[in-house]
Amino acid sequence: MSKQLAVPAKRALPPKEGGLFKELLGYYETRSLKKGVKTADQILKKFPEHAETLCMKGLLLTHMGKREEGIDLVKKGVRLDLTSHICWHVFGLIQKGEKKYDEALKSYIQALKFDRENLNILLDAANLQVHLRIFDSLVETRHTILRLRPNVRKHWIGYALAHHLNGNPLEARKILQHYQIMVKGIPDHDVEHSETLLYLVRVHEELAEFDEALRVLDTGEQNGQIVDRTAVLEARARILSKLKSDESEAAWRVLIDYNPDSYEYYRGYLSNRGINLDDRADSEAALKILINFSTELPKAAAPRRLALNVASGDSFKDLAGTYIRSGLTRGIPSLFADLKALYRDEHKKTAVEEIVEAEHTKHAAEQSTPSEDSEPTTYLWTLYFLAQHYSHLGQYSKALGLLETALTHTPTLPELYTCKARLLKRAGDPIGAAKLLDEARLLDGQDRFLNTKCAKYMLRAGFIEQGNQILGLFTKKDAPSPGSDLEDMQSLLYLEEEADAQYQSGKLHLALKKYMAIQKLFDEVEDDQYDFHGYALRRFTITIYLNLLTWEDQLRSHPSYIKAALHASKIFIAVHDEPALAITDNSEPLTDAEKKAKKKAKKAQKAHEDPKKLTQGANANEDKGLEVPQAKDEDPDGKKLLASPDPLEMAAKFLSPLASLAPGNIDAWIALYDIAIRRKKLLQAIRALKHAKSLDPESPELHIRIIDFALRASDLPQTPPAPIGPLFTSFHSSLFPSLSPSSDSSNPFSTSKLSLETLNSQYLQKHSNSPLGILAVAKVQHRLGSPVGQVEETIFSSLGKGDSGEGLVGFNIKVASRFIEFLASIKSTRVVEYRSACAQRFELSTIFRPIEELNALRTSVVWPAPQAVSTEVKDGNTNGGVDGYIAQ
Amino acid sequence: MNVRTIRVDDLTGMQACNLQNLPENYTIRYYLYHAMTWPSLSFVAEDHKGRIVGYILAKMEEDAGKGEELHGHVTSISVLRSYRRLGLAKKLMEQSQKAMATIYGASFVSLHVRKSNRAALNLYRDTLGFTLKATESKYYADGEDAYAMHLSLKDQGTVARTN
Ligand SMILES: CC(C)(COP(=O)(O)OP(=O)(O)OC[C@H]1O[C@@H](n2cnc3c(N)ncnc32)[C@H](O)[C@@H]1OP(=O)(O)O)[C@@H](O)C(=O)NCCC(=O)NCCS
Repeated sequence: MSKQLAVPAKRALPPKEGGLFKELLGYYETRSLKKGVKTADQILKKFPEHAETLCMKGLLLTHMGKREEGIDLVKKGVRLDLTSHICWHVFGLIQKGEKKYDEALKSYIQALKFDRENLNILLDAANLQVHLRIFDSLVETRHTILRLRPNVRKHWIGYALAHHLNGNPLEARKILQHYQIMVKGIPDHDVEHSETLLYLVRVHEELAEFDEALRVLDTGEQNGQIVDRTAVLEARARILSKLKSDESEAAWRVLIDYNPDSYEYYRGYLSNRGINLDDRADSEAALKILINFSTELPKAAAPRRLALNVASGDSFKDLAGTYIRSGLTRGIPSLFADLKALYRDEHKKTAVEEIVEAEHTKHAAEQSTPSEDSEPTTYLWTLYFLAQHYSHLGQYSKALGLLETALTHTPTLPELYTCKARLLKRAGDPIGAAKLLDEARLLDGQDRFLNTKCAKYMLRAGFIEQGNQILGLFTKKDAPSPGSDLEDMQSLLYLEEEADAQYQSGKLHLALKKYMAIQKLFDEVEDDQYDFHGYALRRFTITIYLNLLTWEDQLRSHPSYIKAALHASKIFIAVHDEPALAITDNSEPLTDAEKKAKKKAKKAQKAHEDPKKLTQGANANEDKGLEVPQAKDEDPDGKKLLASPDPLEMAAKFLSPLASLAPGNIDAWIALYDIAIRRKKLLQAIRALKHAKSLDPESPELHIRIIDFALRASDLPQTPPAPIGPLFTSFHSSLFPSLSPSSDSSNPFSTSKLSLETLNSQYLQKHSNSPLGILAVAKVQHRLGSPVGQVEETIFSSLGKGDSGEGLVGFNIKVASRFIEFLASIKSTRVVEYRSACAQRFELSTIFRPIEELNALRTSVVWPAPQAVSTEVKDGNTNGGVDGYIAQ
Repeated sequence: MNVRTIRVDDLTGMQACNLQNLPENYTIRYYLYHAMTWPSLSFVAEDHKGRIVGYILAKMEEDAGKGEELHGHVTSISVLRSYRRLGLAKKLMEQSQKAMATIYGASFVSLHVRKSNRAALNLYRDTLGFTLKATESKYYADGEDAYAMHLSLKDQGTVARTN
């Protein structure tokens, strides 16, 4: 076979058309789309099967928004000429636009087979390889690029970076050093070169080449080549400490002067002296130094606050006294939030209480006989602090008394209302809490913070419509709904609260819709990194780009993702176990407000889809890019979603990142088990149970799953085939070493009901003081078919013994609600009784009142019409042309 | 409260903070763009649990023409209500200004603020020394005017550079 691939006859064009084809390529480059199509048509008139022209035309059409037609042409073109690099390149571009990154890479690799040195294709392939984390191939691609364009600075960095990512920092360092020697004519204060040198420092550090790292820093700073002073100072201090150099202390000191409010700098300074801020044994030494800093740097808050962490006994009292008095006098609203963390230490908690109580007594006395220097606001902030303090400790009536006094003193401070609202929320009165936040909001209508908080409280109290209206005061007026603006702006807070509220109100379809929106949001953020693969190299900001890659790899360890995944799988399991749940009632009457909202949403949606509007302000040449535009949502209420035929598969997909990203989260492993066992993935189920057990063998949720596992194993017709069988058998007998097989079964894993009941009562004995343990036992009893009366007995034991109500530790409002939910689900007749017991137990609560009363309370709430505060901005929302910048 | 340069894993916390405080919001991508372009200009304040309670998102104005003075711009700054009046915004601004001047040679920093935003105006004008450059009529879609404000950075210890 000859090396040089001859141009196949079907591809060759006569000179005239050949010229046209070149023009066509040029039109594409400049995105002269219409002209391009015209030219393509000219060629196609004579050569209708010319594959490359077909592909180019398809590409142009796709850019013009004629997706389907375009893609058909591209596919046809590829089929007609499987050895054309142009065809494969175009196909790759289309796939990339559809975010099918792995398929796109395959096409690029095909294209490269037929045009090894095509720079554009190589660059795209490199980006895809980083995106897909295929680092060994990345090294090759980057090597080729550098070989082709050794004069371009960024390609050196790209090659070094490829080696670094591929686990070879040594090679990266060599390349960077070589580059440094070779590169010439760098102007002073060149930010790009500065970033490159800082990248070299990082690689040196990773290789533990500290002396070299220091040399780069020092010369770089001296000759003005490294301009990022913060980065230099931080790296120098870090490295000198590692080298145990005499100069290290001074380096940390410089940093502290540079930013005296960075905790890390104090930590570094102390640790350099062998003092650990978190080690009690070191606290005396730490305290001395921190006190010194407090005097030397009077404007810095950090040393004084850190001193409170390490001080104890009398010195704590002194320092805390000064700190608190100054905070109260200056009227710092966040003082309590700032100090709360100290309460882990009982002594400190008491000391704080004593200090503030003393202030309280003093200022209360001054109220009746005001003196010259008594400041009425100090009294107010003292009351506010104490109210938060007692509320935090669960002493609600004391806190309420203080708040009453404060509110009489100053009825216009929103903080007093939010404080009281938080108290009521915790005490089980979400409706009262929401009302208070609405009052707080009205006191400062310009403040979005109060607005958001108010809406959140309304959602939590089940006022979903009202909550959304309140949010709408600050969202874009032309959005289909407040929620859709917040979703566009990727507000996790909104999506979570809305989903939870819908879940709470039993609208599983709406809840699921929002949980899935959270999943989508994380997909988007994962996609976002794509454009930065090329961009960071152009900008030379490699150090932070490396952190971006790491962060993206762990993106879904974010608490919001985990929570959404867990809740969504609960819903998916519920509809799998009970498909009737997926049948949503379509005849549900809409309230007037709902109707109105729907109408408005429809109108706005239309406006959104209006093609004229879409292109307004966009590129004059009508380029719509290659990305698939967002299709119209055919299922805005999530009803189809809830009824989807493969709920378990969807749940498995949502949960799967947790297996690597949430190793310590037992709920995640329980959920992984629940899904795996239903999908009959026995190995995965075993793995999940084992992992959960290793995290907490006594977990109540795990107890339920162990019984579940036994029951499901009993139902197996036979031992699963190898290799699963032996594993399954050994795991089963490790879980149930002493279970006697039931006599009337041929199934090797069958266990008698009696033995499972025994297991359950053993668990109860061990955990009779744990509310959640009791709940688990009750659930298992029910599952094993115990009479309802017995299950109820178990549940009522959670209320503690006797009338004096010796409450169980951990029996709180949330747990109590779960008991009620379960009682209701087994149709117990004693729900009312349990509710009223809880109503007594939690004095301020309203949620345990009889249902009718609660409903009446809810409907009696009259919200003042949300007053509009104008908020929109011209350059709001905007990614203000960023895409242009990044994607050049 | 701890005040420090941003890290990539702060961006979602900053974005959440912004959505709670201000009506001008941006997707994560815009935060990423700032971080990947000017990694040392943006700062956060965090509480003891590492929760972001305040941030400044800042950039260099790159559209300045040839010979024009380089300058920085504050895209967004806010502090959660329960952490206001602690001096956090002031510290965040000062750190960012210092970085604009020393790293990029910015000779001034610019920003926009609503005419009615008393807290922010006090912060910029009285505490930090910004001056009013222009009033941009109906800058905000609700009809409110914006003040365009400037602060010279020439005393920040570096020679200002030009494009
Ligand atoms: C504006 C904002 C960022 C200030 O944050 P902050 O951390 O509370 O501000 P600081 O504590 O650093 O305040 C510094 C100075 O600003 C001024 N200031 C701050 N808040 C003020 C207020 N509510 N009223 C009057 N002056 C105020 C004061 O002069 C203050 O100095 P002082 O406390 O010594 O009197 C904050 O209120 C906020 O996030 N608001 C909502 C979002 C917003 O408006 N952002 C600005 C958009 S341009």
